[in-house]
Amino acid sequence: MSTLLEKHIVELLQERNDKAISLLYEHYGDTLYGVAHKVVRDEEMAQDVVQESFVKIWKKADSYDASKAKLFTWLFRITRNTAIDKLRSVNTKNDKEIQMDVSDVYNLGVHSIRPDLMDVRENLDKIESKYQIVLDALFFQGMTQQEASDELDIPLGTIKSRLKIGLRELKKLYGTSLALIIVVFSTF
Amino acid sequence: MKEKIRLFLETDLLESYLLGNTTTEETLQVERYIAMYPEVRETYNELQSNLEAYAKMHAIKAPEGLKARILQKIKAQDAGRRKFRRFAIAASISAVMFAASAYFFYNQNLNLHQENAIVNTKIQNLEADMKQQLEDVRNQFIVLNNPQTRKVSIKGNKKAKDLKALAYINPVKKLSYINVQNLPQLPENQCYQMWAEVNGEMLNLGVIESADDKEKLRALPYAEDAVSYITIEPQGGNLTPTVQNIVANISY
Repeated sequence: MSTLLEKHIVELLQERNDKAISLLYEHYGDTLYGVAHKVVRDEEMAQDVVQESFVKIWKKADSYDASKAKLFTWLFRITRNTAIDKLRSVNTKNDKEIQMDVSDVYNLGVHSIRPDLMDVRENLDKIESKYQIVLDALFFQGMTQQEASDELDIPLGTIKSRLKIGLRELKKLYGTSLALIIVVFSTF
Repeated sequence: MKEKIRLFLETDLLESYLLGNTTTEETLQVERYIAMYPEVRETYNELQSNLEAYAKMHAIKAPEGLKARILQKIKAQDAGRRKFRRFAIAASISAVMFAASAYFFYNQNLNLHQENAIVNTKIQNLEADMKQQLEDVRNQFIVLNNPQTRKVSIKGNKKAKDLKALAYINPVKKLSYINVQNLPQLPENQCYQMWAEVNGEMLNLGVIESADDKEKLRALPYAEDAVSYITIEPQGGNLTPTVQNIVANISY
């Protein structure tokens, strides 16, 4: 994502121009919806999460500090935390019916993704699921490597090496897509 | 130093910070490390890029209408806030106006109270004054109208030949008045002053203004064998009469 666009969006946000929300949604809406869905695993709930997150983003615009985090990092934090809170509130409501452990909030792995969602995830398939599991633990579940090792019952050393390979694969993928964008742009 | 950074990176604190899962204390620590050590900063930036890239891989086409709903929600929020702000502004303006008018009326009330007190004293003084004057006039009438009243014509000695005055003395009512009709002009630094010797005591009856009304009657203290004097004194009057400057005397 171009930093110029980020800068523009941040400026609009801080001027309290609601065009900022439009632009944010256009550029990050699908990703944040995906993030929300990844956590709550329910389409309707994910929509609520995205809506609540955007309201929070709009309200908290003043608190965004570009020197401390990239715009996306900030958006991701808000969305992920909103999703976790949502899931917790739903779980407390259902607590009496189904005893759910908080650590069970996230179902590890990607097996529950519906096939119709898969088309936009072409790239994701290029990362082997054993690496995805570790990346998920890091970026979505917010686990330390030790926690991931305990949770997944995989030795810490293996976690470390899988994470390293996973990140390398990831870089390869977004490296090529970035190269592709450059190629596409330079042809115009 | 290198060891310190390596240990820090091993704690996974940076990853927790990335997701916003650190406590306030941890946040401060991580931010300090990011600011101080380029290696930590680099790792953090790389983590941010990785996060964005990995999250984007999970993008799902959001349902139609979600954007519209979000924008509507935000507009409603803003309208609410704006409405509240407008209300708050109106409320503070009216509060200020109320305070100002309260202060104004309080002040006005205070002023009116003071004015009222002043007017009351004035009326009382006026009343007392009028009573005094009425009493005076009544006494004058009694004296002038009484057959026992003696009328004594007074002329000035050679120091004030043109001085002319009339004294009315009533021994029965024990009242006496003097009417100064003419006073010779004096230099500016001098004036005429009246005195009365009553029972061996010299009383100051005050300075006679030359501009005095010619019809004005001055009350004289009455006593058997009293003597009144008119003297020339320095401007403003004297405490004791200057005997050599006596211009007229009246004994009654």
